[in-house]
Amino acid sequence: MNCAWKQLMNILPPRLRGGVDQLGRETMEELRLRLGSPPEITGGGKSTWLPGAVTQEELTCVVNAASQYSPWAAATVAQGYLTAPGGHRIGLCGEAVCRDGKMEGIRQVRSLCIRVARDFPGIARGAANLPGSVLILGPPGWGKTTLLRDLARQKSDTFQVSVVDERGELFPQCFAQGRRLDILTGCPKPQGIGLVLRTMAPAYIALDEITAEADCEALIHGANCGVRFLATAHASSVRDLRERDIYRPLLEQKIFSEILLMHADKSYTRERMAL
Amino acid sequence: MTYKWVGAVLVVLGCGGCGLRMVAEQTRQAGLLRQLLQGLEFMESQLQYRLTPLPELCRQAAGEVGGSLGPVLRELAQRLDGGEAPEVSACMTAVLSSHGELPGNLRRLLYQLGKSLGRFDLPGQIQGLRTVRSACQQERQRLEENKGERFRSIQTLACCAGAALVILFA
Repeated sequence: MNCAWKQLMNILPPRLRGGVDQLGRETMEELRLRLGSPPEITGGGKSTWLPGAVTQEELTCVVNAASQYSPWAAATVAQGYLTAPGGHRIGLCGEAVCRDGKMEGIRQVRSLCIRVARDFPGIARGAANLPGSVLILGPPGWGKTTLLRDLARQKSDTFQVSVVDERGELFPQCFAQGRRLDILTGCPKPQGIGLVLRTMAPAYIALDEITAEADCEALIHGANCGVRFLATAHASSVRDLRERDIYRPLLEQKIFSEILLMHADKSYTRERMAL
Repeated sequence: MTYKWVGAVLVVLGCGGCGLRMVAEQTRQAGLLRQLLQGLEFMESQLQYRLTPLPELCRQAAGEVGGSLGPVLRELAQRLDGGEAPEVSACMTAVLSSHGELPGNLRRLLYQLGKSLGRFDLPGQIQGLRTVRSACQQERQRLEENKGERFRSIQTLACCAGAALVILFA
């Protein structure tokens, strides 16, 4: 059994393991657990429902197993998710704890969305020789992170690659790593980029999901220091990317020279970046 | 006649021994409560400043308190590492069932600790630990209150009970 899949099985309540393994091993993208409703497996564009309603104890079991009974120890809980062993992202929804207008954690969980991390070594071989910075575009669930993971690995055969992995999802323990790959986890992207620039002298920095202005500023700063980037962003096309204000500085500064556009079937096509 | 005297002395000594044993048990309980308090204070500070995950926290607390409570916390850490139960309280119940030698008041406090560990939010988790610590302090205070007088009373009562038995059997 695949190591990441085995780790996913370990965090699920025993009642669900058999059904999820049988129905989702090959194609499952998400497992959604909602209090009082049957578990929903999504993948390949369709949903399958497992029998029996999810109980509070089962939700607690998943959170405890994924966090070693210590969800408060994961800084990401304040952002509404946990990264489980194997790199699977668990989105949390329920009763939040807030202080001074900021979310501090979750008191009681009512819904979980488990996104399965998968690794396909070799899928980025066609893009490994692209010379400049590469931006992978696609909507959520279309395989951007999976492609980025392999692209970083392929690049590290030739170059020093630093991975700034805020969520700890790109290279969990059980996934194959590259030859010249340095991985920084748990650090916000802007600080992480600064840190690896100062300490690791990378030729490439890989990071998942550019979502904030601070990320873009850090990318521009890094590019001015001569480093290239491998990154992902939520956009369904280059045109869609251009229409989003947050990415405008990146486009104006011509940070990325290559675009890999994801498709619903998880394939990708290459597009040249042109203003 | 000599046998009677020897028997009488043995009965009085036996009852006195029982009294001493009760005193020793109460002293042991106070010691265990002191260890638990020390462990709880350690856990609280670790949670506040280092966010140590529970299995590691229990292992570190076991090393910190030592004594008879150390193995209990160490076993709890092992069970949490193995993910044996969906909740910490279930792991603690399993640990307590394999440590039958622990006194009732300490078992109650440890069970309460198990119930309070594994909360999802940090403020709630720290509050839970504080509640157990407060209960532990109250229990310790109860045991320490008039300790000397109570111990003397127990020993005196035990010796008197022995003397009463001697008179009854004579």
